[in-house]
Amino acid sequence: MAAAMVSSAGGLLAMLNEPQPSLKHHALSHLNNLVDRFWPEISTSVPIIESLYEDEEFDLHQRQLAALLVSKVFYYLGELNDSLSYALGAGPSFDVSEDTDYVHTLLAKAIDEYTCLRNKAIELKEMVDIDARLEAIVERMLEKCITDGKYQQAMGIAIECQRLDKLEDAITASDNVQGTLSYCINVSHSFVNHREYRHEVLTLLVKVYQELPSPDYLSICQCLMFLDEPKGVASILEKLLRSESKDDALLALQIAFDLVENEHQAFLLSVRDRLPAPKTRPVEVVQAATTAPTENPSGDVQMTDGTPAPTIVHETDPVDATYAERLTKIKGILSGETSIQLTLQFLYSHNKSDLLILKTIKQSVEMRNSVCHSATIYANAIMHAGTTVDTFLRENLDWLSRATNWAKFSATAGLGVIHRGHLQQGRSLMAPYLPQGGAGGGGSPYSEGGALYALGLIHANHGEGIKEFLRDSLRSTNVEVIQHGACLGLGLSAIGTADEEIYDDVKSVLYTDSAVAGEAAGISMGLLLVGTATEKASEMLAYAHETQHEKIIRGLALGIALTVYGREEGADTLIEQMTRDQDPIIRYGGMYALALAYSGTANNKAIRQLLHFAVSDVSDDVRRTAVLALGFVLYSDPEQTPRIVSLLSESYNPHVRYGAALAVGISCAGTGLSEAISLLEPLTSDVVDFVRQGALIAMAMVMVQISEASDSRVGAFRRQLEKIILDKHEDTMSKMGAILASGILDAGGRNVTIRLLSKTKHDKVTAVIGLAVFSQFWYWYPLIYFISLAFSPTAFIGLNYDLKVPKFEFMSHAKPSLFEYPKPTTVATSNTAAKLPTAVLSTSVKAKARAKKEAEQKANAEKTSGAEKSVSESGSGKEKGSSEKEGDVMQVDSTAAVEKKAAEPEPAFEILVNPARVVPAQEKYIKLLEDSRYVPVKLAPSGFVLLKDLREHEPEVLSLTDAPTSTASPATGTAAATQGTTAMAVDDEPQPPQAFEYAS
Amino acid sequence: MDPQLTEVSQQLERFKAAFVRKDYSTCSDLLSRLKVLLTKFTSLPPLFENTPNAAQELTLARDIYEHAVVLSVKTEDQDAFERDFFQLKPYYVDARNRLPPSPQENLILGLNLLRLLVQNRIAEFHTELELLSSATLDNPCIKHAVELEQSFMEGAYNRVLSARQTAPDATYVYFMDLLAKTIRDEIAGCSEKAYDYVSISDAKQMLLFSSDQELLTYVNEEHPEWEVKEGFVVFQKAKETAPCKEIPSLQLINQTLSYARELERIV
Repeated sequence: MAAAMVSSAGGLLAMLNEPQPSLKHHALSHLNNLVDRFWPEISTSVPIIESLYEDEEFDLHQRQLAALLVSKVFYYLGELNDSLSYALGAGPSFDVSEDTDYVHTLLAKAIDEYTCLRNKAIELKEMVDIDARLEAIVERMLEKCITDGKYQQAMGIAIECQRLDKLEDAITASDNVQGTLSYCINVSHSFVNHREYRHEVLTLLVKVYQELPSPDYLSICQCLMFLDEPKGVASILEKLLRSESKDDALLALQIAFDLVENEHQAFLLSVRDRLPAPKTRPVEVVQAATTAPTENPSGDVQMTDGTPAPTIVHETDPVDATYAERLTKIKGILSGETSIQLTLQFLYSHNKSDLLILKTIKQSVEMRNSVCHSATIYANAIMHAGTTVDTFLRENLDWLSRATNWAKFSATAGLGVIHRGHLQQGRSLMAPYLPQGGAGGGGSPYSEGGALYALGLIHANHGEGIKEFLRDSLRSTNVEVIQHGACLGLGLSAIGTADEEIYDDVKSVLYTDSAVAGEAAGISMGLLLVGTATEKASEMLAYAHETQHEKIIRGLALGIALTVYGREEGADTLIEQMTRDQDPIIRYGGMYALALAYSGTANNKAIRQLLHFAVSDVSDDVRRTAVLALGFVLYSDPEQTPRIVSLLSESYNPHVRYGAALAVGISCAGTGLSEAISLLEPLTSDVVDFVRQGALIAMAMVMVQISEASDSRVGAFRRQLEKIILDKHEDTMSKMGAILASGILDAGGRNVTIRLLSKTKHDKVTAVIGLAVFSQFWYWYPLIYFISLAFSPTAFIGLNYDLKVPKFEFMSHAKPSLFEYPKPTTVATSNTAAKLPTAVLSTSVKAKARAKKEAEQKANAEKTSGAEKSVSESGSGKEKGSSEKEGDVMQVDSTAAVEKKAAEPEPAFEILVNPARVVPAQEKYIKLLEDSRYVPVKLAPSGFVLLKDLREHEPEVLSLTDAPTSTASPATGTAAATQGTTAMAVDDEPQPPQAFEYAS
Repeated sequence: MDPQLTEVSQQLERFKAAFVRKDYSTCSDLLSRLKVLLTKFTSLPPLFENTPNAAQELTLARDIYEHAVVLSVKTEDQDAFERDFFQLKPYYVDARNRLPPSPQENLILGLNLLRLLVQNRIAEFHTELELLSSATLDNPCIKHAVELEQSFMEGAYNRVLSARQTAPDATYVYFMDLLAKTIRDEIAGCSEKAYDYVSISDAKQMLLFSSDQELLTYVNEEHPEWEVKEGFVVFQKAKETAPCKEIPSLQLINQTLSYARELERIV
């Protein structure tokens, strides 16, 4: 008999009206099974079922059943709120583990509701009445997740509901505590919007970490850094350093490098200062000795004998000696010197910048066009950022000397970018241009100011050594140009230190109310106070209202914005105050404040606010900045940005389009994201010149270090840049954009990328503020150099215990062509000649054709068809050596263009030698060779990695021993500088490389 | 035989006996007990499990519900009628191919149609009608109801009233009486709309009353808003024709302005 089905729920519904409870129960339980099909019918009877639920006399189980039924009907009707409240009434009848859409939807709803209530409760700091039943459901859900082994889900829910107790349960219950913890850290960074709450989560995580039998110190220290607890980091480092094991020491060094990567200068300094000196704390030795064995069972000992003597308190204690030695190393790392030196060596030795590009630019730019002239200087500086290679300047001294006034200022400052990180010799390098103490009016104030700025750039974020000098220079001058340079220099070198004395000096410059100096002072104050959110912000705001100079207001507005860096909600009052101001420039600062306070958080509220300003403010400047600011808020999630700004990029308002271009440039910098490129492409041929400029620069930022092999549009873009630069009729603005773009595209000798997040997904403070100030170049070109702060070398630098770079090979499991350096450009002359239109007679065409035919026939006759094949598909690379040769010959006379001669089959991998260039996209292909002598302490595909030596007794082969050196420019340079017009003269003899001295 | 089944059939016999005796209160008691017993049978709707006694159980259950429906007519309980009829319906519709058709089926369906007519639920009436096959439509019980409905719709109220005599079954009489009242309500509703006032004698004639007294009682009970004065029935046309709806000008202006503002913002 065919299975019959009821065609209507009418009978059962009628049964609900029966007087007997047992009939009602019968009907209810059957309806409950049928509800998925007959909910439209049942929905008309919902009031009856509701009344059953509310009937006190009814059996509890039946009432719950009724509630469940009503809940399901409401669910089908799309009334989730009602559905949830009845589901809560259903109590245990609502089965959390049921695998139906209904249960899934309601659970999600319940969790949402609960989260919302919890967040409200915490926000208002008071008890909001939370339905105990709701809480019970969520807890039931959490427990189920934990028992089912879905720890990530449980953690996610716990974090979102702000239930730290449950979070801890979930983590400790999980089978892979390390993995869960790191997942949790990721989640808390990307999804927890509340700064305070994130701190709580991280504190909890640190607690859990420390309770583990083998804590992951790398992660703990990252957390502690975020929590701003130098004490904790210092004690961990000390423990590791005092350990007997060399491995622990290596780990400590690795931690230090990782911390440095986040560029949190103030924090690093305070960690360094907290590390106790070797002799003073003998008690620690005891502690270290007791803890050491548990940490390192292998115990490869390098002390006197296996058992540490806990009673020894002598200075000559070998433990102490090792500790002292390690301490020096770690202090060197924490101060940033080690990593800067290594980076410098790397950039110098691997410099692959293409001087021909610059040459082309130089030749095509009109002499009298000062904008393009200085743009070329900027491009040169950016191209060679950190490489110490100033060949181009040396070779073109005459040309350089055309830079006058502010152009001279930036030309001098450009040296700072080129020599960025050259800490030891920075000052002597710049000496010829620096203000001469007693001499009085030696050089032009522009080059002097520029030199001070350059010093700041060289020592950016590591200004311990130079601060005093800059302060003296600032105090001893009252020329506003020099003040300008000195202020910027001071700000750069003391980023985030909140040094009171410097602040006072800069403030006094501000109060002179000179437009030029005041602007720099405003920015400088902001740089000093980055992320401190001090009272001083209101002081600055007050002065911004007082002064008449727009430049000063703008400088201050940006400065104030810098002070609230990363404060998220903490900055809301200030942001509110700024964004509601009458003065558009202050509002403009407000946009930056929003951008920086919420940088990298992708906070919805901030995005909403920015979008609102982007479309509603009356001032174009504010609108432009609001759109641009989106780039900062979203950089942790670059895929989002093109989607969010895509509409804005089609705005009728060119300022908004410009902002959209830069927003994409900032947030997608270095990613080569396809959507970003597609969005920018049309903007590069916009009708408005400055939009083109912005789009070109943004495009260059996105495409940094992306090779043509991985995205063909990179090559097209390079050709487009060349075309714009060569085009005589192109607007100056877009020409400048193109010149800068070619600089950025090949930044840092093609070995750096723009990276706003460290590998551990923390913000890189310096990089973010560098880009923020850089985006100010709209008003003030010299600020372009701030982009150099955002450059980070794409390198794998492996270090041994002595912090030297040993020879170490590893593998990149991808085709070399994917990530190789762009091909050097060839001399352009042959190209231009080919382009000339020539009258071609028909006869000659025929003759040519005939000749060609003959040649072909000849070739055919001579060789087999293999030769011809190789002509048509020269890249296929399947041919044998002989035929390949033939193909090459054919190519040479057929086309003069640059053709790849890559006929050999390309290997599927390449062996890289430490230190190696590893571009971000390449990181996932990095593999270690199995029988390698060294093993990295931490598995990281790039950055500084400490290597553990498995064969300690063999002699080590070091690579990278030569260092860039530049002795002080000889007197001739100084003399030239005094002559005014030829101020840019630099010694044109290339110095021989000098042995690099390691700090020991 | 299954003990449960035996029990049910025994109870049913007792029910039938009481029914014949016209002892309706005993009937309802027995009936409710029967219904509870029926819930134990899994072969009944909505489960339709293929138990060995399925056919017997189904027949039995159908029989019980058919009796329940008839009983509700006897006790003049329309709610119970509706309830029982709905519970009976799956036996007719869904169990059609498991059971031989019931001799009572057309009678019950006709009753239901009549009930709908009485309750003036014309839409449902037609829905039910659509579900019937054309053969069923020729059945006198159904045909009777259909003709009634047609007369009712045409306004041939006298034909409706005379149809009482031609009722196919004794059970129909109850509904026919009710139908007269329905018709009266219908007429009253129409008069209300059609006239401002009507003389009492006309009203009496129209509403099919035989005496003034009946008319007055009817007015008092059913239409207290009507007024009887000076030999007329005045229909309080609470015809305060709703004043022309105000144009929400302010709201419109606001909306238009906000559109304009949004347009400005379009980027």
